[in-house]
Formats: sequence, structure tokens, C-alpha cells
Amino acid sequence: MKKISKLIALLLAAFMVCGLLAGCSGSGSADNATSTPTEASQATEESKTEETPAATEESKAEETPAATEESTPAETTGDVTDLPRNETLYFGGLQWGTVNAWNPIGANQNNFAIAGSPQGSRTVMFETLYMYDFLSGKLYPLLADGDYTWNDDMTELTFKIKEAAKWSDGTPVTAADVAKTFEASVAIGNGTGTTYGAYIDSIEADGLTGVIKLAKTEEGGPKNPLLAIDYLTGVYVAQAAWIDTMMARNNNDPVACLNDKAEDVPYSGPYGRLYDDDQKLVLVRNDNYWGQDASMWGSLPVPKYLAHAMYADNAATETAFKAGQIDVNQQFLPNIQNLWLKDGLPISTFYDEEPYGVCLTMPTAWYNMNIPVLKENPALRKAIAMAVDYPSIIANAMTNQSPSFEDVPRSLMNPTEGEQALYDHDAVKDLQWAGNDIEGAKALLDEAGIVDTDGDGYREWNGEKISLNACCPNGWSDWQAAMEIVAAAGENIGIEITTLYPEWSIYQTVFTMHDQTEYQIFMYSPSAASPSNPWMRCMMFMSSSFVGIDNNWSGNWGQYVNEEADEILNKIPTISDEAELKAAYTRLTEIYLTEVPSFSLMYRPAAFDAVNETVWTNFPSADDGRNITPYNCVSGYAIRALYELELVD
Amino acid sequence: MKGYRKYFTKKIVWFLITLFVAMVLNFVLPRLMPSDPVAAITGKMAGQTTDTAAVQEIYSRFEEEFGTNKPMIVQFLIFLRNLFKGDLGTSFSQYPRKVSDIISSSIGWTLALQIPAIIVGWIIGNVLGAVAAYKKKGWDKIVMPVTMFISNIPAFGSAVILLYLFAVKWKVAPVAGGYAFDMIPNFSWAFVKSVIEHYQLPFWSIVLISIGGQAIGMRSMSIYELNADYVKYSRFLGIRDGKIVGYVFRNAMLPQVTGLAMSIGGSVSGALVAEIIFSYPGIGSTMYAAVTAADYPLISACTLIITIMVLIATLSLDIIYGFIDPRVKAAQFDA
Repeated sequence: MKKISKLIALLLAAFMVCGLLAGCSGSGSADNATSTPTEASQATEESKTEETPAATEESKAEETPAATEESTPAETTGDVTDLPRNETLYFGGLQWGTVNAWNPIGANQNNFAIAGSPQGSRTVMFETLYMYDFLSGKLYPLLADGDYTWNDDMTELTFKIKEAAKWSDGTPVTAADVAKTFEASVAIGNGTGTTYGAYIDSIEADGLTGVIKLAKTEEGGPKNPLLAIDYLTGVYVAQAAWIDTMMARNNNDPVACLNDKAEDVPYSGPYGRLYDDDQKLVLVRNDNYWGQDASMWGSLPVPKYLAHAMYADNAATETAFKAGQIDVNQQFLPNIQNLWLKDGLPISTFYDEEPYGVCLTMPTAWYNMNIPVLKENPALRKAIAMAVDYPSIIANAMTNQSPSFEDVPRSLMNPTEGEQALYDHDAVKDLQWAGNDIEGAKALLDEAGIVDTDGDGYREWNGEKISLNACCPNGWSDWQAAMEIVAAAGENIGIEITTLYPEWSIYQTVFTMHDQTEYQIFMYSPSAASPSNPWMRCMMFMSSSFVGIDNNWSGNWGQYVNEEADEILNKIPTISDEAELKAAYTRLTEIYLTEVPSFSLMYRPAAFDAVNETVWTNFPSADDGRNITPYNCVSGYAIRALYELELVD
Repeated sequence: MKGYRKYFTKKIVWFLITLFVAMVLNFVLPRLMPSDPVAAITGKMAGQTTDTAAVQEIYSRFEEEFGTNKPMIVQFLIFLRNLFKGDLGTSFSQYPRKVSDIISSSIGWTLALQIPAIIVGWIIGNVLGAVAAYKKKGWDKIVMPVTMFISNIPAFGSAVILLYLFAVKWKVAPVAGGYAFDMIPNFSWAFVKSVIEHYQLPFWSIVLISIGGQAIGMRSMSIYELNADYVKYSRFLGIRDGKIVGYVFRNAMLPQVTGLAMSIGGSVSGALVAEIIFSYPGIGSTMYAAVTAADYPLISACTLIITIMVLIATLSLDIIYGFIDPRVKAAQFDA
């Protein structure tokens, strides 16, 4: 027995050591923790660049020994073992697994540092030409110098790059980088190439000046100027020299280029990669960041490190957030106000009252037009939508983190002031509904001849009982609660609606197929906000260009067709007259509210944004007069917050 | 020796047949799910494009890359060929990460957590079961039922209770992760201490739930053995109690050793609950995420590793039994 005990003790000890080794090494990779010859030479190059006249005042201080140690991220990060709490800003809900890659023109990014979107790209590491602010709809120059300009027929958009803009290797950012990024994106077919390839012919570069040449229609006009503006805020600029190197090492094979991990990629943003493994991602500030130039921010961002631990699920994230281990949290927390009102935690949101955040999107129930009873009966579609108890959805599923449909009457617009001003509210007033109108819905069905003829309590159409299902992915609890309320609405007006909650992997396969009949009323969200919205969202709601296509992620999943709507949608991107634009959106809204091809169930933020002010404070809030976008301090114009954060102590 | 050779050959042949059947099932079953992971990747790549032709092009490209447009048998042969080259494929859900990379980064954590926890739970459970059977009284009437009660709290519930009490309420344990949220892995005492601290709650959550099952099995076996003729005879001979308990323990242990080996064999499947509740790294949550995302290559690789581990554990047991248990040996040699 003694021998066995010893053996077991040895085994246990061995496994504990394994655990420690896994912890110490694992799959973790510190960009600079182990210095390879390449990195060393890169570091040397960075040191050299500091000697150029362009170096800022900060570089003078680097002559002191301490400053010299900090002169390059490469040298600094090798010794980092702890992340001082008062130098680190922690995030939650933005990174859910081990980082796939660092490739700004790659595929399937899951990287906290890389999330390009016209709605607001995360510009901590890679930067876009402009930053989008969804509060005002404004574009703020980032790599770009001043405003962009259009030529007379809006077929060419000219931008200029800031002279101060530099890559992390010290070389200047030029318009050639912008042009190369687009060219390579089209060549390898990444998200940028796919989204913009059909609408942008080319980007031409001349030093710091670039011209985006739009694809033209047969009549010679621009195909879609709105998407060109989306490009400015949604697409990162990658370094042309690095793209050449990366493509060469992958023999220009598109798939290999998309899969390239890009661990050597230079960046222009204020932070670079320090460490990542399957539990953590840490970015470190590049103290030579060009943005401290007076032409941009005039200073460095305050936190030295940005870190994101990977939590298993929402519950674990919430626990860490409450414990003060997360400063900025992108997570739906039911009854979030209880965290400060009842628990007394130093947690806050952009608005200190309902709806707490800025709602930009509308999770929507789509009617499947492959189901004859739904396709043929707008009255049925409208009746179900009228009977739904939206206040219950908003109170229960969203715990009032959404404006009500009485406050923001339904249309094709999100609740922001800018979009609400784009249609004539009075013109569509009679078509709108706030919900829970059981009698009105019943009357509508009776009038349409959809009645209960056999006395079983359910209505029939063409002699057959109407029986539908209402679906959303399993585990999406707020959506599931909404679908239950839709089913209850059906019951109240004599329409049988049962709920169905498949796993997301199955759900996404089915609802993106054009001929599916499995899901009859099903949920998905349209586009939230971007320079091309609300046009993009209207396309998603009503454009027949997405009808009949499999693997359809673009929109109109219910396969609705309306020729008049198509005509208006095709015209909107080229309308510059405000009154004409308003008339177009008003007519679209009329069609939408009359035909009801889908109906929104709630308003919802594009990203949840709550902050714990245990360590850091001065986060954006609605009444601080700073107009900083409440978008997790990293996306779009929200990144300005990083330059204004303050320590609590 | 001839008997041994025949016995081992037979076992190894069965091992290989079972392995092949398991490999076929591991490959086929995930692919029968009514979901299309290529569509998911396409969706992520396409974003909000309005150019539907481009989306179709992306879909076709990924279909080609993953080979999902080929007949199942061709896919299986490619899978086998790659397997022999040590290539487990590319993950759908974590594309473009390689499956081997994902598994190698998580399996160490799982084994380091699971195996000590299983062994400790097994030892405590067996000792408790034997003591309860022999001493009876308070041990059998209080300690055993309490242990049984704790062990039968669903794993999810007991882990949440541990997290709430020790991490949230009393703040004596960390809330999540394999090491401190404000550290970067390094060889220092502070980091080692952090790993050990983060190890405690997941470890004890597994130990607590495994004690009961082991204890009740051991208790039943021990009671059976305590009433055996050889025990009574030993008592008549006046052999001291400690010696008798040793005999009883050894005989009652045999089925328990089987259970231990099987548990260790299955440990690679990960402590899913512990990994999720404590956000502890490991292969359990990786596999769970793979299943929900219909990530065929990752599911197949995980289940293949589990299959191999369980089969190796079973084969080892068969071989060891062939040596140590004369009854097994005699039965096999006669057959």
C-alpha cells in the first residue's frame, strides 16, 4: 500500500506540474516575450525611427535610461508578468475564444482588437480612415486628414491621409496602403472584397491623396455612394508592404492569404499585441503612436494595457464584472439598474434611466412568404403583429432596456434622432400600432374572411386551420421570451402558433435558405447603424434582390417581393435632396406598415455598454456634454474615451 | 506462454476492430446533424454585403476547402489519410485555427485537473466506503448519508454553490480562469500560487461529486466481503482486525480499480461543468462549443481522443487482469 500511495502522490504531483506548465506556456504567445531574430531587428528599426526629426517631444525623454527601456514595445513587453490594475482597462463580452489570427484582411476574425464595421470599427490596433459616431451620424477623421470630397456626379470620393500617420514600424501611412488593402481584399475575396467589390471600381493613390472610384450604373451614375462612405468607417487600412510580403509567402493563394495568422503585421493604432492564450488577450500601448501628434489626439490613450479575459459564458462574465475584474462590459444584464440601486456597486450605463443604452437595432419577426397563408394575407400578418403584447416583451425580455413603441412608433428607422427625422411621422400615423390590440386584430381578420368556421377556437383559411410556428435560436433567452409572447398573441386572436427553438447551428442553416418552410415566423436582426443606414436596413427588410438566394446573409429572409419598394430602394443611394429623401423613406415606411412583411419586437443596443468604476472613471455618459459614442470605449468614435479616462484613486 | 499470446492477440484484435468502428461513428454521426457550418463561416465573411453573387462565391470556396461538397465516403477517406499524417483538419467554428492546435492548448489543463481529482475522489470514496462498512455506527449512519447527499447534488448546482460561497460571498477564491486575471504566465512563485488558487474550486467540485459513487460501491463490496467465509475463518483463527480489513479491502478493490481506470480513460472528455462555471480552460467546454456549432472536425477529433483513451484503459485493464486475476486468466485460457 505504501508503494501505491507513493505512486499516487507522484502522479498527482506530476499532473499538478503539468497544470502549471500548461499555465505558464499553453498555447499562449507573447508577441515579444520571446525575442526572435526578426522581432529583435524590428525593435532596432523602431529605435532608429525615433531619431528622425519627425519624432515628437516624447522621444526626447527617451534619452534617459528608464525611457530608453520603454522606447519600443518589444523590449518592454518581454518582462511583463503582472498587469498593474491602475494601468489596465479590462473588457468583457467582446472576446469569447482563443484569438484566431491578427490578420486585418483575413477571414473569420474573432479578435477583440480586430472588428471592422461601418457601424464603428474597433481601432485600437488597426485604423480606418474615419470614425463613425452613431449618436450624431458624423464621421470623424482618423487616418484621414479633414473631410472627404465628392466630385460633381458623385462617382469619385477623394480623401487625404494625415502627414503624421505612421505604422508601428515607423514608416508613413500613405494612400497607397489604402489602395493596396482594397486591391488585395478583392483579390483574396475577404469580407471587404465581397462587400465593396461590386460597388468600388478602384482606389487610386497619389502620395497622401487617394481617390475612391465608384462602380457606375449603365447610365453612368454611381452605383452606390452610400457604400463608399461605409468603406471609410468600416475598412481597416493595412500596410501595403506587409500585404505584399504576406501574399508572397502564401504564393498569392487566396485561401492561404485569408488564413494567414499575420503575427508579424505592423499596425497604425495606439495598441499592439502583448500576449494571448486561451484565457486572455492583452494589448499594450505603443508609446510611439503617431496619434499623439497635435493633428490627431494630442496625447496617448490613458490605459497602458487593454486586457480581455475569456469567460465561459454570460454568467461568468457577470460575476467578474460585479467583482470589479471587468471595467467595460458588453453584455445584456437583465435589470441592470439593480446593480447600483440594490447592490450598491459602482456600475453605470450611458443613460442613468431606462433604456440605459442607445438602442440602434430592432430584433424582428420575419414572416415566411413560402407559406401560402402568410404570403396571400397581409391582414393575417398585420393582425398577428397588432395582437403582440410589446410592453410585456420590453418589460420582461428586455427589462425595459428598450424604448416602447409608444415612445418610438414603429417604422423602418432605429430610435436615434437622426433616423427618426428621415420620415414623415404624421403621414404614417394611422398605419402604426403599439400592440396588444386584440379586438382590432380580430376585426381585421374577420374583415379579411379569416374566421373560425368549425368552432374549434382557431381560424381557418381555404378550409384549413391556420397553424404556424414561431422560432428563434435556443438559449437566446430574450428572443425566446419574445417568441412566447408572439405565440400567446396568436392564441388570443384564434391563430395557432407554437414555438420552436433549434440550436443556432441548425437555425442559421435553415433561415438563410430561400425555399425553407420549416420556420414560419422567425427572428433575426437587421442592420443597426452606419453611414449607409437606414437604406441598408430598408434593403434588409424589403429588397427583392435577396429573394431566391441560398446562404442569404444579406436580408429579406422572408422572401418578400414588392416592385415599388425595389424601385425606391434602388433610387435612395443617389438621392441628395433632403426633401426627396424624406419622401422616399416615408413611402417605404407606408408600404412596410401596410404590407407587414415582418415586424420588430423591441429596440435593442447594437452593443451593450456598462462600466464598473471601481478603478477607472470618466466614461462617456449622456449628460457629460462630451458627445462621445457609448460603444465600449473602442469602437468608432467611442475610442476617444480612452484618452479621457481617469483613475478613481 | 502460448495461452498469454493467444489472450493478448485476441484482445488487441478486438481493440483494433472497436477503434475502427468508433472512428467511423465519430466521423459520420456529427455530419448527420441538420446544420451547415460552411453557411456559418460564409455568414461571418459576407457581413452585410448586398452582392449576393459574391456570397455564393465565398460559400463555394469554403465548401471546396472543407471538402463538404464531396461524397461522405470520399470525405472519410480524406479524413483517414490526413489522420495518418497527424492532420486533424481545420476547425469550422474557430476557423482558421487547426484542430490539433485547439486540442493541444486545452488538453493539458483538462488532464491536470481531472486526473488528480478523479484519483483523490476515488481514494476518499473508497476509504470512506470501507470504513463505513467496517465501523458502521456513526460512519454508516451520518458520514455516509451526508457524503451521498453532497455527491448527489447535480454537478452544476454544487459548482455554482462553491463559486457563490467561496468566490462571491467570502471572496477567498478567484471567480474565474486558470490563473489570475491580472497576470501573464511566467515562471514565478506568484504565478504558481495563482494557478494553485484557481485550481481549488474546480478540483474540489469534481472530487465532491465523485466521492459518493465510489463510497457506496466500496461499502457494498466490503459488506459482501466482510460476510465471506474467509473473514469468519480468519476471525476464528484470531487474526487481528487490521489484517482482516486489509484482505477485505484488497478483494473489494478489484471492481473499484476497473471503475478508476474507466474514469481516467474518460477524463479527456473534460469536466464540462467545472470548466463552464469556473471559466476554467479545458477540452470539455471546447467540445461543448464544437457540438453546438456543428464543428465536425473538432467534434471528431475530440471524440476520437476520448475513444482511444477509453479503449487504451480497457485494453490495459484486460491485460493487467490477465496477469493479476487468476479467475480471469483461467476463463480466457479455457475459452
